[in-house]
Amino acid sequence: MAKDAPKERTTNEILIELLMLNVGKISAIIEKQGQSIFGQKNLLSNNEINDYSLEFLELLTMLLHAGEKLDRRGAEYKALRQFFGNFSQQIQVRGGDMDEFVRYVHFLQGTFLENLEADKSVSFEKARAILLLLGGIFNDIILEVFHIYLEGKEKTIKAQQEELKQTSTPITEIWEGVLTLPIIGSLDSSRTMIVMEKLLQRIESDRARVVVIDVTGVMAIDSQVSHHLIQMIRATGLMGATAILTGIRPEIARALTSLNIDLSSVTTRSKLSEGLKEAFRQMSIEVSRPGK
Amino acid sequence: MIEGIHLTPIGDGNVLLEPGEGLDPSAPESLVAPVLEFLQRNEARRLVYDLKNLRLIDEVYYAWLVKLDATCRIANVEMVTVNMQPAAAYALSLTLKQSPPFNCALDIHHLR
Repeated sequence: MAKDAPKERTTNEILIELLMLNVGKISAIIEKQGQSIFGQKNLLSNNEINDYSLEFLELLTMLLHAGEKLDRRGAEYKALRQFFGNFSQQIQVRGGDMDEFVRYVHFLQGTFLENLEADKSVSFEKARAILLLLGGIFNDIILEVFHIYLEGKEKTIKAQQEELKQTSTPITEIWEGVLTLPIIGSLDSSRTMIVMEKLLQRIESDRARVVVIDVTGVMAIDSQVSHHLIQMIRATGLMGATAILTGIRPEIARALTSLNIDLSSVTTRSKLSEGLKEAFRQMSIEVSRPGK
Repeated sequence: MIEGIHLTPIGDGNVLLEPGEGLDPSAPESLVAPVLEFLQRNEARRLVYDLKNLRLIDEVYYAWLVKLDATCRIANVEMVTVNMQPAAAYALSLTLKQSPPFNCALDIHHLR
C-alpha cells in the first residue's frame, strides 16, 4: 500500500507556523520599531507598545485560525480592524499623525515578509499567496485607520465651525430695549437659523423694542443672503420689535439693487452709530453731552 | 359669548382678544361678525390679539388673523398682535412673502 504524500500546508498554516516559531523574535522587532516610531515623541510608553504588539500578534493568529479564506465580515477580522482603529485613535489623541501610523503598519507587514524569506521550505507560489493575503489585510487596516483619521478631522472641523457660528454673532443689549447684532462673514441657511433663534429669544427675554442689525462685516451679498436678512427683519417685526439695518456698503447696496431686492420697508442707516441714533429716536431717548 | 374667543375691554379703547382651545380658525366667517359687534358695542379703537399660548402659527391661522385685521380696518379698529412666541415668529417668517398687514407688539405694555 502506497504511503500518502504529506499534505501541503495552507497559506494560513504557514503563517501561523511562522508566528509560532518566531513569536519572540517578531515581537521583539515590532516592539523595537514601535519604540522608535512612537516612543521618540512620547506617543506611547514602552509598556503600551509591548501590549499593543502582543495583542496584534494574538489577533492576527486568531484571524489566521478562523479559516483558510479571509472572511472580512467575520468577528476575528472585525476585532483586528477595531484594534487598529482604537490604536490609531489613541495615537491621534496624543498628537501623532497618520504618517507615523502608516509607517508602523508597513513595518509590521515587512517584518512578516522578511521572516518568510528566511524559511526556505516555502514555495514561490505559497510565498506569493502569503504576500497577497498579508497585503490584503494590511491594506484594509490602513484604509480603516485612514477613515477613522478623516472622521476625526471632520468632527474637529465641524465642532470648530459650530463654535465659530456661536461666537461670531454676539447679540448685545446696548441700551435698555435696544439690541445690536453685528453680522460678520456670510449668512447661509444654517447660520441664519442659529442667529434668528438667538435673536428672537433675546428679544423676548430682554423685552427689546429695537434691533440694530449691522452688516458692515458682510463681505458679499447674494440673493440667498439678502433673503435671509429680510427673513430675520420680518421675524423681528412679528415679535413686535423694529429692525434697523446698518452698515450697507456701496458695493452691497449695488448688489442689492441688481438683485431687485426691495428694502423700502426696512429702516436703513449707513453706520452703526446712525442706527443707534435712530433706535434712540424711536424710543424717545435723548443722549446729550453733560452741560448742554 | 363667542366660541373659543374671550374678549375683554382693557381701557383706552383697547379690547384684548384671548384665543382659547375651541377656536376654529378654518371658519373665520362665523367668527369675525360677532367679534366686530363686540368691538363696536364697546367703542373699541384697537383690538389686541394675544398670541402667548400659540406655539405655532400655520397658514390657516395666519389667514384667520389677516381676515380679522381686514374686518377691523373696515370698522376703523386697529389690530395689534402681542406676545408672539419666538418659535412661532421664526416659523411664520419663513412662509411669509411680505410683512403682515396688522401691527405686532412685544406685549401689552409695549403698545404704541
